[in-house]
Amino acid sequence: MSTRLPAPRCWRQQLSLPLRPSSLRQFSTTSSLPVKSGWSTLPPRARPTRFNQPTSGLPLPTTGPAAALKRKAQSTPIRTGVLAIKKGMTAFMGRTGARIPCTVLQLDRVQTLLNKTRKDHGYWAVQVGLGARNPANVGAPMLGYYEAKGVAPKEILAEFRVRDENGLLPVGVELKPDWFYIGQRVDVRSNSRGQGFAGGMKRHGFSGQEASHGNSKNHRTIGSVGPSQGSGSRVLPGKKMPGRMGNERVTVQNLPILMIDNDLGIVVVKGAVAGPKGAIVKIQDAVKKPPPPKEFVEKTLAALKERFPKAEEHLQAAREKHLELKAARREKKLEELLGKKLWEPTEKQRKIVEDILAMEKGEAAGKEKRV
Amino acid sequence: MNVAPLARRPLGCLKTSLRQARQQKMYSQQMATAVKSKSKSPPSVLPPLNYHKVVDRRTRKLRTAFAVYPPTIAAAAKTAPPIPNPMPTIDEFQIKRMDPTGARTALFAKTRDAARVGDVLMVSHRRGGEPFAGVCLSIRRRGIDTAILLRNHLGKVGVEMWFKIYNKNVAGIEIVKRRKKRARRARLTYMRKPKHDMGSVEDLVFAWKKARRVYATGKGGAAKAGAKGAKGAKGAKGKVAAKKK
Repeated sequence: MSTRLPAPRCWRQQLSLPLRPSSLRQFSTTSSLPVKSGWSTLPPRARPTRFNQPTSGLPLPTTGPAAALKRKAQSTPIRTGVLAIKKGMTAFMGRTGARIPCTVLQLDRVQTLLNKTRKDHGYWAVQVGLGARNPANVGAPMLGYYEAKGVAPKEILAEFRVRDENGLLPVGVELKPDWFYIGQRVDVRSNSRGQGFAGGMKRHGFSGQEASHGNSKNHRTIGSVGPSQGSGSRVLPGKKMPGRMGNERVTVQNLPILMIDNDLGIVVVKGAVAGPKGAIVKIQDAVKKPPPPKEFVEKTLAALKERFPKAEEHLQAAREKHLELKAARREKKLEELLGKKLWEPTEKQRKIVEDILAMEKGEAAGKEKRV
Repeated sequence: MNVAPLARRPLGCLKTSLRQARQQKMYSQQMATAVKSKSKSPPSVLPPLNYHKVVDRRTRKLRTAFAVYPPTIAAAAKTAPPIPNPMPTIDEFQIKRMDPTGARTALFAKTRDAARVGDVLMVSHRRGGEPFAGVCLSIRRRGIDTAILLRNHLGKVGVEMWFKIYNKNVAGIEIVKRRKKRARRARLTYMRKPKHDMGSVEDLVFAWKKARRVYATGKGGAAKAGAKGAKGAKGAKGKVAAKKK
């Protein structure tokens, strides 16, 4: 991670100092504050503004970041979700003849990239990436980010909020479909199909106007948009009108999981999910159902540890490498650093070269024999 | 880089390859020393890195470069991308589960002996009841969701019904009468028009049942020939399969 520079000072602050020296304020006859607010000769910073300290014995504040997090804890899942791609729909035929339509979602190299913490970011969350992207199509800032994480460039990144620090995961590990279990309820979020600019009938289900009775060229228009003079002669905010329809985030709640397969990388959920095939989908534990059992959560975490025992060392090594490369980039010493490594033959290429050399030797020996 | 094409045709361009190899000789020696020195250093958790290099267009000089980790490595462990399209695998798995004998698949496969559009088919329900017969207007092939559309007349009213062929409620599907000539359309929607409508297929079904009773050898087989329940249907399907052979 790059170290943060100190925030630049606001130019306005610097300017205001000579314009309004504190000595002048005592003699000014006009106050910028109204009388009822009172006045003080103390500088503004020294005035006690936060009376409700934890030590003062007053109830905890019901507003502010801490209160907001506490309020939302109930509706925040305890663990992170995953990204997936919608692959299409199929059906499960039950033994009793019931047909259950379902959607196939595929997890493609879903990796964790970042843990967001209350201390550094203001909330708890896990950043997750999906798929792979050609590095030529990734900007320099993001290439540096992936370099520091020790992760290949991802197709897409997304963030899943979690309740507290227990939901955070080691960086770089891959989440597989067995992150969920069969029968679990999940919330699935995705963008719906874009419908383009749609009229009131399609977009909001307006009934349109009559076909005849003197109607002229206004069969599908929305009609009046509000009352006249007595009600202000205006259109109320939020009036339903024609406009862009679809391509908005749709959450389908409490979908049961019917099937998981680590080899195929699929999670099959019951019912439909918004968006076309190939849409990117977020799957997370259902908000309105009890969280997965503790034993299961522990099992998944143990599986992660077993699959990726060197995650922390890898991250640390990647960070060190990143700092080294970063310094080289800054000091324009990259060519020296990479000089030897600009092109390294892979194992396969090396083998081919060796084969050819061996062949050449054999041929030479054969020629000698012939001679 | 220029070594890669050799991999495809190692013997095809021997002369040029040897020439290149001679040039590479020095290089390979250098590589060998590099590898040796690498083995001496403590083992790193980092995989061999590629570098994405950004070159200045005008000066052709290296502007910047970033280490790019291989996409098949996650947290120092190997991973593999899943197969691009899992849908056929899922379909196959589902069909195998719902149709272990393969009779249903075979009946609507694209073969000579399979049922085709225009044939008169009879579908019997798992829980008994009157089997539904009708002319097949279309076969919608969608893996596990494969379905057929049958049309008949019940009391002078046209009735069409869709049947999912892999559904457990469909106990048996029998070919009552084959169309004389192959239909030249995939979906015979024109058969809904009065000019082409077949009307009721009741008499065809009656004749077929009668013929079966005549040809049936055993007493039990004749009694169950009405395709009541799964047993009768299975027997009927066996006949379909036998015809093919």
